[in-house]
Amino acid sequence: MSPVQPGVSTPEAPPPTPSLAFRALASPVLRNKTAMVAVGVLGFFVFLAVAGPLLIEGDPKAQVGAVFEPPSWEFPLGTDGGGASMVSMLVAGARVSLLIGFAAAAISALIGGTVGIVSGFFGGRTDVALMRVTDYFLVIPDVPLMIVIAALFGRSTWNIIVIIGIIYWTFTARLLRAQTKSVRERVYVQRARALGARNSRLVVRHVLPQVTPLLIANTVLLIAYAIFAETFITFLGLGDPSSISWGRLIENAFTDDAIINNAWWAVIPPGICVMLVVLACTIIGQTLEEALNPRLRTGHLSVRRFRVLPRSVQPEHQKP
Amino acid sequence: MTPALLEVEDLNVWFDLPKGGRLHAVQGVSFSVAAGTRLGMVGESGCGKTTTVLALMGLLPPTASVSGRIAIDGVDVLEGGEQTMAPHRWKDIAMVFQGAMNAFDPVKRIGEQIAEPMALHGVASGKEAAARVRALLETVGISPDRARSYPHELSGGMRQRAAIAMALACTPRILLADEPTTALDVMVQAQILELLTHLSDELGLALVFVTHDLPIVAQTCTHAAVMYAGKIVEQGPTDALYHATRHPYTRLLWAATPDLESQDDVVSIPGVPPRLDHAIVGCPFAPRCDRAEARCVAERPELRTVGEGHVSACHFAESLEVVA
Amino acid sequence: MRGTDYVVKRVLFAVGTVFVAITLNFVLFRSLSGDAVSALRCRGCSQEFKEFQRRELGLDKSKWEQYKIYLVDLAHGDMGRSLRTEEPVRSILWEPIKTTVPMVALGTLFAIVFGIATGVVAAWRRGTATDKATLWGGLGFYSMPPQWLGLVIVLFIAGWLGLPTSGVKDPTLGILDDPGVIEVAVDRLEHMVLPALTLGLVVFGEYTLIVRSAMLETLGEDYILTSRAKGLSNWATVWKHGFRNAMLPVITLVALSLGFIIGGAITVEYVFSYPGIGLLIVEAIDQRDYPVLQAAFLLLTLSVILFNLLADLLYFKFDPRVTE
Repeated sequence: MSPVQPGVSTPEAPPPTPSLAFRALASPVLRNKTAMVAVGVLGFFVFLAVAGPLLIEGDPKAQVGAVFEPPSWEFPLGTDGGGASMVSMLVAGARVSLLIGFAAAAISALIGGTVGIVSGFFGGRTDVALMRVTDYFLVIPDVPLMIVIAALFGRSTWNIIVIIGIIYWTFTARLLRAQTKSVRERVYVQRARALGARNSRLVVRHVLPQVTPLLIANTVLLIAYAIFAETFITFLGLGDPSSISWGRLIENAFTDDAIINNAWWAVIPPGICVMLVVLACTIIGQTLEEALNPRLRTGHLSVRRFRVLPRSVQPEHQKP
Repeated sequence: MTPALLEVEDLNVWFDLPKGGRLHAVQGVSFSVAAGTRLGMVGESGCGKTTTVLALMGLLPPTASVSGRIAIDGVDVLEGGEQTMAPHRWKDIAMVFQGAMNAFDPVKRIGEQIAEPMALHGVASGKEAAARVRALLETVGISPDRARSYPHELSGGMRQRAAIAMALACTPRILLADEPTTALDVMVQAQILELLTHLSDELGLALVFVTHDLPIVAQTCTHAAVMYAGKIVEQGPTDALYHATRHPYTRLLWAATPDLESQDDVVSIPGVPPRLDHAIVGCPFAPRCDRAEARCVAERPELRTVGEGHVSACHFAESLEVVA
Repeated sequence: MRGTDYVVKRVLFAVGTVFVAITLNFVLFRSLSGDAVSALRCRGCSQEFKEFQRRELGLDKSKWEQYKIYLVDLAHGDMGRSLRTEEPVRSILWEPIKTTVPMVALGTLFAIVFGIATGVVAAWRRGTATDKATLWGGLGFYSMPPQWLGLVIVLFIAGWLGLPTSGVKDPTLGILDDPGVIEVAVDRLEHMVLPALTLGLVVFGEYTLIVRSAMLETLGEDYILTSRAKGLSNWATVWKHGFRNAMLPVITLVALSLGFIIGGAITVEYVFSYPGIGLLIVEAIDQRDYPVLQAAFLLLTLSVILFNLLADLLYFKFDPRVTE
């Protein structure tokens, strides 16, 4: 610890480089076993999404067997209400669901990030105005709004991406605004400003490297939200009729009366896929956020107590 | 000879480390405090003074192992662990924590929190407790009407004083104060020091005052113990430590204190204290000591008497020049 | 009164948001690409009928005029007529509201109670298997799409529990004899259980995580240590000091999750054919009955705004630090 040295202030740490920031993100994930498993799971589904067309021959929706055939060697997960192989449908669905998830999250992050950074950096009236807008947006319930807009404005995949994207930007905005504000107050930013650096330069060189890790952590969580939201919209019949997504598979199961036919293989797998991806993203996102905003406090209450040792005993495991 | 109010003998505290191994945070600490006296415990951050004081209250976490003797009125209370220590908490021995400004629950009123231990320990309840609260607040220099205030409505200094009032709620005979004046401005600091001195003198309170600030100890305490790396390296009446310092570390601590009137440069002690997860060979201060010799690195110095009630753990304790 | 300005500010904000919501509602529904009427699915609607409808709905006037009419109508409680059945929307909404509210209340109550209980337990037993199990359980359920969970429950659990999976009442009740109030209530409850349970299961996970987090944060605060020092047991400390502080963020959380709850309610009602507002909305979407949809959406939005205001006021009541 520091020697007895009154009156000396520690100089502030210099601004982090982008590579440092990246390492700040990568290492906590690599160190955490659960997070690594989550990355693996997500990677698997991304692979399915990307390599999809290569893995399935022909149109996944094509009828290849009887309706609601139970799982067999030929169809590992059986067939759905239209006689299509569940496995093919799931792989095809991965593509669309993940696409929607990533794209919508990106849009949200872009809007939210920009609003947050601008608001936090410039402060003053811009800040107040932007935050006012954000506050109003926050109160209007997100899912109903999405449903209504989807109902009114159409059912294409692109529309859905945009809709989800513009609903969730508020969380990101608040987060980044807080972070930007604290970065702005740091010594090196003020020094750079005193030296006459222009705002754009300040933002790019100093603010961005500091807030980007948090933005990424937040975006990963947004992916989970987006995929989840897509299932809502599609289930209510508002999805793109020509595209296959996991949400649509669940809807199909419902409208094709899979329940009556006891076709659990048509119901369970798509939900499991959604669950796995959402779980994976949540775990990764939370690990990142925790690493960036660590909560170090240990609790003061515990069921167990401190130990009292007899006076002659020296405890073992003291390293020589 | 009647036993002192508080006697600590060969106190050791180990903490389990998350990756295995142990940290020996308090190493064989012994001292005693008589009624009406004030012991200052001084040292750098991490030297073990806070851990010592927490051990006296029995508030160590489950990762801690304790050995030694802690006696109140001659009776060992550490023996049965939590069971023997709990009954004394707040009634015989109370504590004012570091950063006591946060010691209050933000959603409850001050008065209620001060009265809480009274009912719990059967000291007073209801109207009587309320009256006692008001009296306590007056004692520490806060208007009794503030009993109805919430913590955030009081200034930092007031909250600190309220924390002292809360510590006195069950009229303990031993008061432990961990950095009670850090982060307070000088005026408030002086008030609180005066208050503590007064309480000790008038009520016979035995005070253990933990701080890193040596001048405060010189000003307020009757006795002082200097801690380094978990051990007491010098201990005795404050006067003796001030006028007849017998340990290089204490000497350097004094030298490091800025003195408004002196022309000398402020000397800081270079280096850092040793890690406590390994057993240390030789004197723990040797790497940073300006008087170290070969013997210091090889052989650990024990506490030896150098004056009336004055001990020091240095091979050269007797021969160190007296600093005026 | 403390913080009158805070209360006033919050109410004004709520009023402002109501206006924004109303306007948003109007803008959304009137700026449809394509004409609501021409998109209307109704067999045998002649061209004259459609023209008549257009005039009825005021679609031939300017947008600004329409807006003013809309506001005036709203003020009178007139929300238009269903495009499908010609009934006034106001009376269409009434029955479904009565059906939905108890179900959603039940589900949310379950989520809150279960979420708090599991969150507290997880925080209490931090790091143990119980903690991990609770966390995974909460996270797991939180990641399930509510409609999927509903389907799974219907597939596997409903039969086993012997609970109905659709509708809100037994159609055979009351045919042969006059059912008592209890019988009716039980019947209603039976139909409510599965949808409410599904909703509750999907929602509680988030609460568990936040409560655990808040509890851990609170348990690390200084006033918790002080409470133990004063002699309170672990349990008493949690109950008297930990709880109040840790629950504050929960109020905010519940308010924020209302959107999710509503979304969940809509899907759950669809899955279980539970004739509440949710199912009404789904049908309205399917049949392009826009006035009904618009009114339902406005109603939901206003409810959420109201609940948010209530949450703000509740928070204000329980946290004395809120004054600005």
